[in-house]
Amino acid sequence: MIGPWRVLARITAATAAMMLGAPATAAPTDTAVKAAFLPRFARYVTWPPAAMPKAGDPFVLCVIGSDPFGAALDDAARSQVVDGQRIVVRRLDSAVGSDSCQIAFIQGSKVQPVGQLIAALGRRPVLTVTDASIGAQRGIVHFAVVGGRVRFFIDQSSAARHGLGISSRLLALAIGVKQ
Amino acid sequence: MNDLQRGSWRSAPVAIFGAAMLIVLFGIAVIMQTDNGYRDARVDFAQSQAQLLAVSVGAAVDFNDPAAAQEAVNPLHVIGSIRTAAVYDRQGHLITGYDRFGETVPAVEQAIASPNPLVIRASAPVEMRGQRIGTAYIQLDRQPLWRRVSRYGTLTALIAAAALIVIGLGFAQRALRNANRELGKRAEALAQANELLEEQVAQRTQAEDQLRQSQKMQALGQLTGGIAHDFNNQLTVIQGAADMLCRKDITDAKRIRFAQAIVQSSTNAASLTSQLLAFARRQPLTPEWLDLNDLISQMDDLLDRTMGERIKVVTDLTAPCRVEVDRAQLQSAILNIASNARDAMPDGGTLTIATKNFAESDGQPRVAIEIADTGEGMDPATIDRIFEPFFTTKGTGQGTGLGLSQVYGFATQSGGDVKVESQPGKGTALTLILPCVEATGETTPRDAAVELAEQPVADILVVEDNEDVGAFAEAMLSELGHRVTRASSGEEALDLVRKQTFDVVLSDVVMPGMGGLKFADAVAVERPTLPVVLATGYSQEIAEAGSGGRTVILKPYRLATLSQALATAMKDARPA
Repeated sequence: MIGPWRVLARITAATAAMMLGAPATAAPTDTAVKAAFLPRFARYVTWPPAAMPKAGDPFVLCVIGSDPFGAALDDAARSQVVDGQRIVVRRLDSAVGSDSCQIAFIQGSKVQPVGQLIAALGRRPVLTVTDASIGAQRGIVHFAVVGGRVRFFIDQSSAARHGLGISSRLLALAIGVKQ
Repeated sequence: MNDLQRGSWRSAPVAIFGAAMLIVLFGIAVIMQTDNGYRDARVDFAQSQAQLLAVSVGAAVDFNDPAAAQEAVNPLHVIGSIRTAAVYDRQGHLITGYDRFGETVPAVEQAIASPNPLVIRASAPVEMRGQRIGTAYIQLDRQPLWRRVSRYGTLTALIAAAALIVIGLGFAQRALRNANRELGKRAEALAQANELLEEQVAQRTQAEDQLRQSQKMQALGQLTGGIAHDFNNQLTVIQGAADMLCRKDITDAKRIRFAQAIVQSSTNAASLTSQLLAFARRQPLTPEWLDLNDLISQMDDLLDRTMGERIKVVTDLTAPCRVEVDRAQLQSAILNIASNARDAMPDGGTLTIATKNFAESDGQPRVAIEIADTGEGMDPATIDRIFEPFFTTKGTGQGTGLGLSQVYGFATQSGGDVKVESQPGKGTALTLILPCVEATGETTPRDAAVELAEQPVADILVVEDNEDVGAFAEAMLSELGHRVTRASSGEEALDLVRKQTFDVVLSDVVMPGMGGLKFADAVAVERPTLPVVLATGYSQEIAEAGSGGRTVILKPYRLATLSQALATAMKDARPA
């Protein structure tokens, strides 16, 4: 009974090692991983009550600037629920209209680079997310690929300035935390 | 042991084995209960550990961070009872896990979720903000049965000990019961054996009684047959002679010869009854003081004549001793022994008569008269029977078989004994043992021959219940010139004594109603000077109590004896 079970366990373990836990048949790209991560941050962040979506309204995940994710982000957002509330993705060209965003991935554009956008968001209660592959400008969460894996830094002091609370669980996953 | 007790004994082992089984079942139930409780506790423990893991690993699952997940799992290493810890994402893929024994942790959730009896498994969902994002698993080893049972070792040992004790008791009970039953059987067998033994003893006693009775009957038959034979011989002579006397033309010479034949035969018959009575020890003895050696010396001539020429008689009379016995009976005894010795020595030999002092343990002085021959001797079977009346080894007509019977009767009646020593071919010695008496006073001289003296005419009362004897006595006394009055009973005679005057009374002893002794006593009261002479053939009263000093004559009596006794009695009664 244990024999065949062991064989099966070893085969599946080898397969899993190649897949790295990704649901896709092929190894997911860094972009896809980032798309999967973005909606999940919602669960580890607390917003001021005023900044929370109204009852029945979804969480809003904004991509400001050009969109590197495409449909992958929409799929990821659709699969996530935070406290029973849906997450929707909005794509913005600029900071205009970002009032409703709870999470904002700041890609930047030629019109408004990352730095300007961050500045534009000011101290509003929005979890800003940046990507090291775009530039050195950092939001509260900053993606970086380390050791072939997508990881992130967290700037807790910036989060505090934005009026956001970051869960220690998320902090535990970060490569580095700026106090 | 009755049936009820037996029943309870029989059912006891069943009850004991039942009790042992109950103890074991109770023990098993307690262990199972405890084991179930323990397992429940382990399940609870696994469940709580899985929940803790699920909570701590949440973010790592969410962001697919195996390293972070591993950090959440690592603390579980210190809990030794956890065999496997594993975390799967929402799609059921393994994020991280570890196995205590290095086994590979299943890569997909389906594999770990399949049933496995060897483990206690608990799982908890990994949830963040209301969304399930994965599952945490904790598996504990389910210990093998023996290990679980061994954890309850003390309890198991106690239960086993209790069961063993109870079973041991059961076996002991059974052994005891078997022993008891065996004991009962033996007691029963013993009782049976005892019963059998008692029955055999009873049978033996009965057989002995029968044997004794048959021996008695045999002896009685021998005795009566012998008496009949010998008496018939004598009666034949008497009858024949009497018939001849009745013939008219008989000569005087023949008449005297026939009368003498009758007298001789009567004497023989009287001797026969005398010897019978001697054997029965009912002979009326008239003991006198005798010097034993003198008496034997005086018998020299008689013995020489009895023994014949071919037998030499030797006497060795060394013991000076006086005895108090009946002279005639002692002489008769010695002659009887001597005649047996003679018959044992048909080719001649020596007869030795010796007197010896014979001391016995009681200190009473006794004298032994040993009469030994050099004849054929006897075998033990013969020795055993020689004192039986009419037992004889002699040919028909040669011996009466009463000789040694007389010796035995006389010796024992005189306070003595007879001993026999004999072996075939080595002769026989018979020893007559008699008690000695103090040597005072004169020995009684031998009676002078009684002559028929002239008697004065007397009035004589004859008391006799037997008509023939009475008539005979009357005829004899009348022949002598006396005046005779007859009475047929004591009462009638006493009546006559009161009315008439007699010089002497001749009375029978044994009579119906008033016997001779009582009658004599009554006469002594009525007529103190009237002498009474008693006549008897045999009287137990006289043999036991004596005659009270009165003269006793023995039947059958001769004319001279009767005449002499009456004369003496009258002479003694007459005042000097």
